[in-house]
Amino acid sequence: MNDEVRTSKLDELRVVHRPLARHDQAEKIAGTTRYAGDLVLPHMLHARLVRAQVPSGRILRRDVSAARELPGVVDVLLGEDIPNNEIRVDVPGQTIEVQPLRASMQVLATDRVRFHGEPIALVVADSEDVLARACSLVEVEIEELPVVSDPAAALAEGAPLVHETGNLLAEWTIDRGDVDAALAEAAVVVEGEYRTQFVDHAYLEPEAGVGWIDDDGVLTLRVATQVVEHYRDVARILGLPEAKVRVIAPYVGGGFGGKEDMTVEPYIALAVWRTRRPVRMQWTRNESLLARPKRHRMTMRYRTAAAADGSLLAQDVEILADAGAYAYLSALVLLYATVHACGPYRVPNVKIRSRAAYTNNPPASAFRGFGGMQVVLGYESQMDALARRLGMDPGEVRKRNALVRGDRLPVGQELITEVQLPQTIDAVRERAGPKPQPSGPRRVVGRAIASNFQSYGRLVWLNDSAAAWVGFQADGSLTVRCGVPDIGGGQAFSLGQIAAEVLGVELERVTVHFGDSALTPLAGTTTATRQLLMSGNAVYEAATALRANLLAAVAAATGDPVESLTLEPGAVSGPTRRVPIEEVLAICRRGNVPVEALGTFFGPKGRPVTRELAGERIFPDFTFGTHLADVEVDLDTGQVRVLRYIAAHDVGRAINPKSVEGQISGGVVQGLGQALLEELVVRDGVNLTPGLFRYLMPTAADVPDIEAVVLESGEGVGPFGARGIGEPPIGPPIAVIPLAVADAIGVQITALPVTPERVLAAIASRRG
Amino acid sequence: MSEPMTMDITLTVNGRRVAATTGAHLSLLRWLREVAGVTDPKYGCGEGVCGACTVLIDGELASACLVLAAQVDGASITTAAGLCEPDGSLGALQRSFHEHHAAQCGFCTPGLLVCAHALLRDARGRLSRQEIREALHGNLCRCTGYQPIVDAIEDAQSRGVQG
Amino acid sequence: MFVTPFRYARARSFAEACELLRSEPAPAIPIAGGQSLLPMVNLGLVEPATVVDLGGVREARQIVAEDGYLRIGALARHADLERDELVRTRQPLLADAVRWIGSPRVRARGTVGGSIAHADPVAEIPLAMTVLGASYELRDGAQARTVGASDFHLGPFTTARAPEELVAEIRVPVLGPGWGWGFTEVSPRLGDFAIVAAAALVRVVDGRIVEARAGLSGVAGRPIRIGAVEVRVEGARAEDLEDRVGEPEGLEPIDDEVASAEYRRQLARVLLVRALRRAVERAGGSGR
Repeated sequence: MNDEVRTSKLDELRVVHRPLARHDQAEKIAGTTRYAGDLVLPHMLHARLVRAQVPSGRILRRDVSAARELPGVVDVLLGEDIPNNEIRVDVPGQTIEVQPLRASMQVLATDRVRFHGEPIALVVADSEDVLARACSLVEVEIEELPVVSDPAAALAEGAPLVHETGNLLAEWTIDRGDVDAALAEAAVVVEGEYRTQFVDHAYLEPEAGVGWIDDDGVLTLRVATQVVEHYRDVARILGLPEAKVRVIAPYVGGGFGGKEDMTVEPYIALAVWRTRRPVRMQWTRNESLLARPKRHRMTMRYRTAAAADGSLLAQDVEILADAGAYAYLSALVLLYATVHACGPYRVPNVKIRSRAAYTNNPPASAFRGFGGMQVVLGYESQMDALARRLGMDPGEVRKRNALVRGDRLPVGQELITEVQLPQTIDAVRERAGPKPQPSGPRRVVGRAIASNFQSYGRLVWLNDSAAAWVGFQADGSLTVRCGVPDIGGGQAFSLGQIAAEVLGVELERVTVHFGDSALTPLAGTTTATRQLLMSGNAVYEAATALRANLLAAVAAATGDPVESLTLEPGAVSGPTRRVPIEEVLAICRRGNVPVEALGTFFGPKGRPVTRELAGERIFPDFTFGTHLADVEVDLDTGQVRVLRYIAAHDVGRAINPKSVEGQISGGVVQGLGQALLEELVVRDGVNLTPGLFRYLMPTAADVPDIEAVVLESGEGVGPFGARGIGEPPIGPPIAVIPLAVADAIGVQITALPVTPERVLAAIASRRG
Repeated sequence: MSEPMTMDITLTVNGRRVAATTGAHLSLLRWLREVAGVTDPKYGCGEGVCGACTVLIDGELASACLVLAAQVDGASITTAAGLCEPDGSLGALQRSFHEHHAAQCGFCTPGLLVCAHALLRDARGRLSRQEIREALHGNLCRCTGYQPIVDAIEDAQSRGVQG
Repeated sequence: MFVTPFRYARARSFAEACELLRSEPAPAIPIAGGQSLLPMVNLGLVEPATVVDLGGVREARQIVAEDGYLRIGALARHADLERDELVRTRQPLLADAVRWIGSPRVRARGTVGGSIAHADPVAEIPLAMTVLGASYELRDGAQARTVGASDFHLGPFTTARAPEELVAEIRVPVLGPGWGWGFTEVSPRLGDFAIVAAAALVRVVDGRIVEARAGLSGVAGRPIRIGAVEVRVEGARAEDLEDRVGEPEGLEPIDDEVASAEYRRQLARVLLVRALRRAVERAGGSGR
């Protein structure tokens, strides 16, 4: 077995694998957690952005004099006031690998605006009350330019240019085997075109933060973020040394990728730096919907060839992604879509061409699933189409083609861990039993399954790393320091569990300090389902090193061999005697043995890819799963009700089973939102979704219980054999819902969301 | 343009009397957060849609962002923090939320707790899971998928917790 | 969030409120429950100079029955209608319609008069009032006039109310013997504004409709009654309704980001049938 692969046996685990209630939840439930927008500082100022009201135009004039004169206004900044007016999206996090993402935008636009909501001026005032009027007094004259709001149109000859460099932002290809020959010889070929929509993260906490200058002149930002390493970006914008900027991430009110790119950070920093006073910025929900990057909408064309027995012979895939007005992480999102495009199946001949285009729509960037989820709609719809054509069972077609350890993905990566995809298919079906009956006349019921795979951990050539510090206090309690932001998934708590497990400490005696770029070892982004893998392994390594120190010191003191010693709560036990932890620590101090350790975990390595992807490892590993849904369709109104939902994933080893179930039910419901309800509507570049009254995310009444089936192969590249589960559950819902509806009405809806209106139109098309 | 106007407003917040002279335009949400220093009701939308600012005004559910503090001068306000025991430990409903992992990011949690409290307080007879789900429809959560929240309320109900 | 400060004045009577609306710096805007006004203020769509609070007009929350009518004070809240015994027994269509409104929080504070004056084209109360043939008493100081619901609601957020006038009271005919009611709607999610809503009242004799009132919202700029359908369903039994309703006349649905005109038309037909069928069942027609 590959030496990266970790495993664990259940009977050896004491703290890990227990469904423990998290201490951070207790604070949140008591209402005492202080989120980014809750902090108030003396003499704090307030800041707000003036944003473009048109999607495309040339800025002719900006006049801030009237705003400056309004009583209460302290400062008004334009792009020219910024030392380096550029947000460059390299690859944020604990890596210095700068990628050619071509992702650059102005902090404040000076001459050109490219989307509705783009920031133009920053107003700072001594009261929130002044800001509405002050912003309206900033005069901005814009000559409107042609708008391009469709990615296909953007790539057509003569389209208005969003950027002078051209509208093609990124392109990836995979070419493996002979697709044309396979298509020609195949028993069946099925074709389909599928569309996904713009989706908003819609976390409950809109972007917010407070900044100040501390006693050592360090610009400090306490903001809702998934990435404390943005301190480097802020430093670059302000022309400061990196060490003079500090970012603290308190508990974050939801991230899902939406707080991966910077939001309020540069603006708070600028306002603080100019005024030398504490500043708070709180985006409204309207601003959040308007200006923070969305999930890419994609158009996916599939041609799938199979033999008569259902074996896949070829996939021919074209993907076009709408990247909106600025690049952000689009090139990487598109890469994920490309690598995941064939699903968890063995395909000998593959041709994939994917492109992302600039438009004057809101920018698109990271969102849970990160391009790997949109394609689930494509490849799973094709699998069902294939099953129908061949008269085969949908589960059998999937099982016949399921990847196994040692297989290579179309991109060339070899799978190094066990794949339990067939087990997830069996698990959801066994649990489901027979298909339910309709609840009344003019109603029909449908059932479908959808499988997926999703990477966990960052792209291997990014040279990802995470560091963590673990140390004993004099009273025998344990402190963990790790720069991980906790965005609600229990990231910090899981680290405490791992440290407690390795060091034989009661969990109640572990304190985790997290999310501070100055005081906790940098651990990288809480993104890409990487924290358990990276920071978990860093804590594991630090704790393991510390454990070795302690045992060696006790062995020297007692004369017991090291192998005979065990760490247990409150003591080290050996054949001679049981040494209480306080005494162990004293022995260490007398013997110059450190009672703390820094662990750094380095992710798997790989070479940077070129546009033509071939033969390379891309990701550390993948998580596999299958979902099953029963739906009922009202034939008169088109309304769809999800009757039953079962989701099975192999998570390798569940560090905290309750957190795993929470990630599954939460991810599924977010996916159901995209499947059935949500769409950020943009027309000709104008955002028509001003508030949550129009952005329709699921309520408790819209979804059924999500029955999570947690399979544990006991194998993965995370600590104790854990696999990441943050992102994987969001993909299957966007396929399983249209497929279940198709089972009910006999026609597949290929564009999301599956609205009642689309359902009625589909029923009508069947009649026609 | 007219002069802004201030008002003397007194509210009893979680049993504590708070009196202050503040802008007449302040929503109850801003008044609680900025004047009374009670930050568990959250700003999530300002439209009354998300439910993160749900409080009780004289025992009745309300979106604190859609009420002017001036409109309810003299009223008694309960937030999620007011559901704690006098010693600050978690109340019975809150304990059930904790045991069932009903909070992830926690931003929606205070509003949901207040909603759940009113639901159990007003319930006549045993509520089904579907009834609980429908009663929660005005409080959005983006992390949990709602399931552990429904579990927590159902469990609290079965243990006789009445709000 | 970013609200420019405004003045606040609390009125103890409608007369005082009207006076404040005239004397206070403009725009002076009345507030009752605030569930429609304050979202717009918070979104920056409305910038009042003064908010005139009607919450001190205590008597205006009463609901009384009188001469075959319910007299409902404009400040009665949605939750009052939902719970009030008089409303539930004398005009259950209204109690039924209110249950579709927003969340429990909106119903706890939102008022009947506020919903009527705000005149959202898909709001439940204006539709119910239109079908019920309710009338509104508008007051301006000592002056009062009465306007029927159909004449009051002119278009989206547009009514016959003058800026200083206030909706003071609503008169709703009580449900007569032999009548049944139905209210239904389709909205994206529970509690959202309807895409289309339908309300119906029928009088049934020997299982057949002898008199009907039926209306829709979401298919025009205001709630409308569908007179031709009301005529067509006379004599119908529950099982005939699908044929008799046919294609409802007078619809002017629009395409917008919520739904297409075509889908609204389809819903109009389906929901009218459902509301009428439910009304027939409740009137003791059949199909139970």
